Amino acid sequence: MSEKISRLVIVGGGTAGWLTAGVIAAEHAISRTTDQEQNNQFQLTIVESPDIKTIGVGEGTWPTMRATLKKMGLSETDFIRECSASFKQGTEFAGWTTGENDRYTHPFTAPQDYSEINLAPHWQALMEGRPRFDHAVSPQSVLFADCRAPKQITTPEFACSVNYGYHLDAAKFAEFLRKHCVETLGVKHVKANVIAVNSAENGDIASITTDSADDIEGDLFIDCSGSRALLLGEHYKVPLVSKKQYLFNDTALATQVPYGNPDDPIASCTLSTAQTAGWIWDIGLPSRRGTGHVYSSAHNCEEKATAELLSYVERTAGAQAAANAEPRKINFDPGHRAEFWHKNCVAIGMSAGFIEPLEASALILVELSSSMIAEQLPANREMMDIVARRFNNKFLYRWDRIIDFLKLHYILNRREDKYWRDHLDPSTIPESLQELIALWKHQGPWHQDTYHIDEMFPSASFQYVLYGMNFETQPSTTTRRSDRLGREAAANLFQKNANQRQQLHAAMPTNRELLNKINTYGLQKI
Amino acid sequence: MSEYLLLSQSAHGKLKVITDRGAAYGDNQMHAMTFPFEFRNIESSYPIFFAKEGESGQFYPLALFGFQRDENLYLNGNVWDASYIPLMVERNPFLIGFQQAPDAENGEKTPVVSINIDSPRVSETEGEALFTESGDPSEYLQQAMQRLQTIHRGHEQNKLFIAALLENDLLEGFNLEVTLNDGSNNRLEGFYTINEDKLAALQPEALGKLHEQGFLQAIYMAVASFSRVTGLIGKKNATLA
Repeated sequence: MSEKISRLVIVGGGTAGWLTAGVIAAEHAISRTTDQEQNNQFQLTIVESPDIKTIGVGEGTWPTMRATLKKMGLSETDFIRECSASFKQGTEFAGWTTGENDRYTHPFTAPQDYSEINLAPHWQALMEGRPRFDHAVSPQSVLFADCRAPKQITTPEFACSVNYGYHLDAAKFAEFLRKHCVETLGVKHVKANVIAVNSAENGDIASITTDSADDIEGDLFIDCSGSRALLLGEHYKVPLVSKKQYLFNDTALATQVPYGNPDDPIASCTLSTAQTAGWIWDIGLPSRRGTGHVYSSAHNCEEKATAELLSYVERTAGAQAAANAEPRKINFDPGHRAEFWHKNCVAIGMSAGFIEPLEASALILVELSSSMIAEQLPANREMMDIVARRFNNKFLYRWDRIIDFLKLHYILNRREDKYWRDHLDPSTIPESLQELIALWKHQGPWHQDTYHIDEMFPSASFQYVLYGMNFETQPSTTTRRSDRLGREAAANLFQKNANQRQQLHAAMPTNRELLNKINTYGLQKI
Repeated sequence: MSEYLLLSQSAHGKLKVITDRGAAYGDNQMHAMTFPFEFRNIESSYPIFFAKEGESGQFYPLALFGFQRDENLYLNGNVWDASYIPLMVERNPFLIGFQQAPDAENGEKTPVVSINIDSPRVSETEGEALFTESGDPSEYLQQAMQRLQTIHRGHEQNKLFIAALLENDLLEGFNLEVTLNDGSNNRLEGFYTINEDKLAALQPEALGKLHEQGFLQAIYMAVASFSRVTGLIGKKNATLA
C-alpha cells in the first residue's frame, strides 16, 4: 500500500460529487501520461451509478460560488447559459414574524461601513416611522422589489456591483461540472454501481468493487453518495445525529412552476414564505420557477401540506399552473453524521448531513468541505489522521452554527400555529442560541460575535434576521462615548445608503434584461 | 433621445447639413469609435483606447479627445485642430440603420441610410444640400453614403479585431491619473489598452495569425498611439493657462 496520498476516489456524482471533484482538481493537477516522468501521480476518479437519479434540489448558492467556479477555470457566461442560472442576492422572508404581511430580507451585502460602525443601535434609536432595517442600512434590497440585477452587461465575469450568488438548475449544473472535470481537468469518470467495499488491514478502505468495471483502489475515498452514505454510513456505521429536536422539518414537496409569460420578471432573491407548519421556497430561474414546501410531518399531514403548496402556486402562477403541478415528496432526517472523516473516508454533501434548505446551507458546505480537502490534502497516511481530526472539529462546529442560525429564524415569531409555538419552547432551542439571545437583548451582535475568521454566518447575518423580525436590543446602560461620536457618522451613513439605493436602482438592469443580454453577447472576462 | 429617420428624397428633399465644426454641433465629445483601417490616421493625432459599449458590453476601439465628459481638447472654437477627423465624427448627422426587408429570410437585415433629424447640423437654410434640384442625391450626400458604407465594413472589422485581441488575451484595463499644472488630478477610468507584456510574449504562431488577419499593424499602431496622451495633457494644461 502506498504511503503517499495520490489516488482519490469519489463515490457518487450529483452536484456534491462533481463540485468536489472540480474543487480538488482545480488545486491539484491530475497526472497526465506526459507528466509521468515529472513524478506527478495524482489521480482523481469519480464512480457514478448510472441507475441512481440525483435528488436535484439545492438550487441556491452563496456568493462564494463565484470564486469557486472561477478557480475551476470556468466561464461565468457558459455557466449562466448552460445551467439556466440567475442571480441570487439574498433571501426574502414573508410571514415569518406574524403571518400578516410581514416581510424582511437578508441581503448578501453587510450594512454600510460595517467594519467601522455598528448602525443597528442608531437605527433602533430612530424609533417609530423609521425605514425597515434592511432598507436603512443596505443599498442592496432596493433591487429586490422590481427584480433588478447585481451587475451590468459591462461588468466583467464574476465581478459585481453588489454581492451575489446564483439560483441554478441542479441537474444541469452537475452535467456542466462533469463535462469540465472530465474534459478539461482530467478527472476519470467511471459509470458503475459499487457492490462491495474492501477493507485493508488497518481498517481503511483499500478498494471498491463495482458491477461493471475493475476494482478501484484509492488512498482517500470521498463519500458523495447522498443520504444513503454508502461508505461512511453503511460501511463504517458512523451514525446520523438527528437534530429534529431543534429543527422540526423533515419532509419536502418540490415542484416546478412555469412563468405565465416568458418575459415575466425573475426574482433577485429566494422568496421564503411561512406556512402553518413550515415554509415554501420559491426560486426564479430564467426558464421556470422551482418551488417547494418544507414542513414538519409531526405538525402537518401530506394532504394539507400539498394543499398549502398548490394554493401558493395558484396565487403566484394561476390555476392552470396549480392544476399541472406534480409535487415530488422527499423525506429527510434532519441531522448530520457524528463525524465526517473516518479512517481514509470523508463524506461531503447529503452523506455528511442535511438539515433543511433554509439559507441554502447545502452547496456551501460542499464548497467548504472540498476546498478544505483541496487545501489540506494529507501528504501521507500518517498526516491523514491529523487532518481528519481538524476537519471533524471544524465541521462539527459549522453544523452547530448552522443549527443556531437556522433556529434563530423560528424563535422570534408571534404566530399562533402549534408548529410556531413549539419553536418557542426553550427545550427546542440549543443552549448556545439561548445564551446568545439573552445577551443580544442587551448588546446586539457585532464583531465580537464572530469567533473564527472563516465563520459561515457573520454577525451581519444575525442582525438582518433579528432586526428584520423586530427584535429589541435595550439601549446601553452606560453613556458610551463611541455612540455619541457615532451618531453623526450614522446619520451620514443612513443618508449615503439612501443615495446609493437611488443610484443603484437607476443603474441596474432587470435580471431578465441582463440574462437576455448575456445570452446574446456574453459577459467579458475583463 | 435623438430620432433617426430613414432618409428619403420625398421626406428630406429640402434638407441641408451644416458641415462646420463646433460644440454647438455636438463636436464636444470626449471620444469616438474608430476602426483598424483608419488607425494610421488616428494614431498621428489621438490616443487609441478600448471601451465597452454600454448596451452590449462588447469592446470597441476609440480615439480619445479629452479627459472628461463633453471635453474635446482638439476643438478650438470652430476649428478641429488635427490633421485627421475620425470617420465616426465625420459621419454626423447620418447613421446606418438596419431594416428588415419584408421578404427577408432568417431575419436578415439590410443597411440603410438614416438621418438624425434632431441634430443641430440639420437645417433648411444653411449648409450642403442633400438632393439636387432634380431630386438626385447631391455629391455631398453621395460622399456621406460612401462614408457610411466604409463605417459598416469597419463595424464588421472591429468584431473580428476585438475577437482576435480577446482570444490572445491582449486587452487589459487601466486607470490613468494625470496631475495637471494647477495641481488638480484628472482620472481616466473604464478604458482598456493593449497589454504589451502579453503582446511581447506571443508565440510565432499567434503572431502569424494576427498578421494574416491584418491586425498586427493595427495592434502596434494602438500601442504607439499611447504617446499621444502626452500631447493631450499638454492641450489640457494649455486650457488652464
